[in-house]
Amino acid sequence: MDHMDERIKKEIMEHTDDSIDQLKDDIWNQLDQELFQEKSRREKQMKKKSKAIPIIIAAAAGVMILFSTQTDTGMAFIKQIKDIFVPEKEMIQSIEGTEEPTDVVLQEGKDAEYIIYMDEERYKLIKGENADIITTKEPLEERYPEVSMKIEQFKELTPEEIIATKETELASEYSKVTTTEVVTDPVEGYKLHAIDGGTQWDSPVTNVYVVDNKNGGSFVITEKYFLEAAEGHGARFYAMLQEFEIVE
Amino acid sequence: MHEDIIKDIKKGNRDAFRHLYDEYAGYAIRTAKAITRDDELAKDAVQEAFIRVYRNISSYNPTLSFGAWFYRILVNECNRLLNKEKKTIPIDILLMENNPQLMEHSKENVSDLYGVIQHMADLYRIPLLLKYIRGFTEKEIADILNLNQNTVKSRLFNGRNLLKEQLSLMEMEGK
Repeated sequence: MDHMDERIKKEIMEHTDDSIDQLKDDIWNQLDQELFQEKSRREKQMKKKSKAIPIIIAAAAGVMILFSTQTDTGMAFIKQIKDIFVPEKEMIQSIEGTEEPTDVVLQEGKDAEYIIYMDEERYKLIKGENADIITTKEPLEERYPEVSMKIEQFKELTPEEIIATKETELASEYSKVTTTEVVTDPVEGYKLHAIDGGTQWDSPVTNVYVVDNKNGGSFVITEKYFLEAAEGHGARFYAMLQEFEIVE
Repeated sequence: MHEDIIKDIKKGNRDAFRHLYDEYAGYAIRTAKAITRDDELAKDAVQEAFIRVYRNISSYNPTLSFGAWFYRILVNECNRLLNKEKKTIPIDILLMENNPQLMEHSKENVSDLYGVIQHMADLYRIPLLLKYIRGFTEKEIADILNLNQNTVKSRLFNGRNLLKEQLSLMEMEGK
């Protein structure tokens, strides 16, 4: 460490030195109260009551166990996700040939079974009963075709089963469906691509990615945008999908 | 952090948690004070970070150093509270990356190096604070902030250069 480093360190230490011991004690007292004293008080109350009415306590304990498995575990799991993945980060995406740094925010998918990072300045995540949809924060004018990315899970259907159905579906909705291909980017899985019309600025485009959920089922991600938006919304969806992770 | 202490904390052992607290609290408070620039927010951030560590210790993955895991939680907590308080100063990251000035604010009234650091954009300020307060390596800072190590290297380099420049300026003015 040279002279300048020593000086910087010394100045930072001096400026952050004020009331450290007091803060340390205050924080510990709060932690002790919240994590240990409350717990011990609850345990004592439980013991006292258990002598008087053991049957009621046994039933209550059963309810508590049931309750804790349904709530605490779920909460802990969500907290765990937040600890593993940073809540916000900077993502570099290539938009119309320019490298664009974008701040993205962690989103937990339905039942916390996947995560994705989303640019909250431009998009919003709508959580539905069967699927989550990422779409533009500001609604587009009516003249624009739909712009969205739908993420849904089919727990009982393998990727191969999904592909067969999707190929038929796309063929009925779009004039041109390209051959399904295996891809490793933005996700590892299969990609189906289709376009309707094909030469107009507003020709609807779709990409469907099918990803194995490693548990006998599949995640299906359906992007919808229009031809002129391929390098805008299309590229942004692509970058977001690169951050898609299944939580096992 | 020793494995046996982590094991004891997992069992809910208060003494083991106190041991961890004593080892980490001092630097954690300094870091939080520097990041949030506010003692009350720093106190809340450190408290919440320790609560999260205690409640989620079973999810700690030893492939990441315990220090990096703890500081990741702490920095996230500081940022969360800052966002909540709306005390963060909006910056155009793209502009900052391409601007050799690197400064968020005017340099006026900045009379010491700490003041210079505190006027920098967060993308330079936070890596510098982690480096100088706790002595984290580039690799550890990259783990904490979930950034590429080269990105951290370049941000520390640019931040340090600006400090150097400011230091010479201050010394010249002193003469």
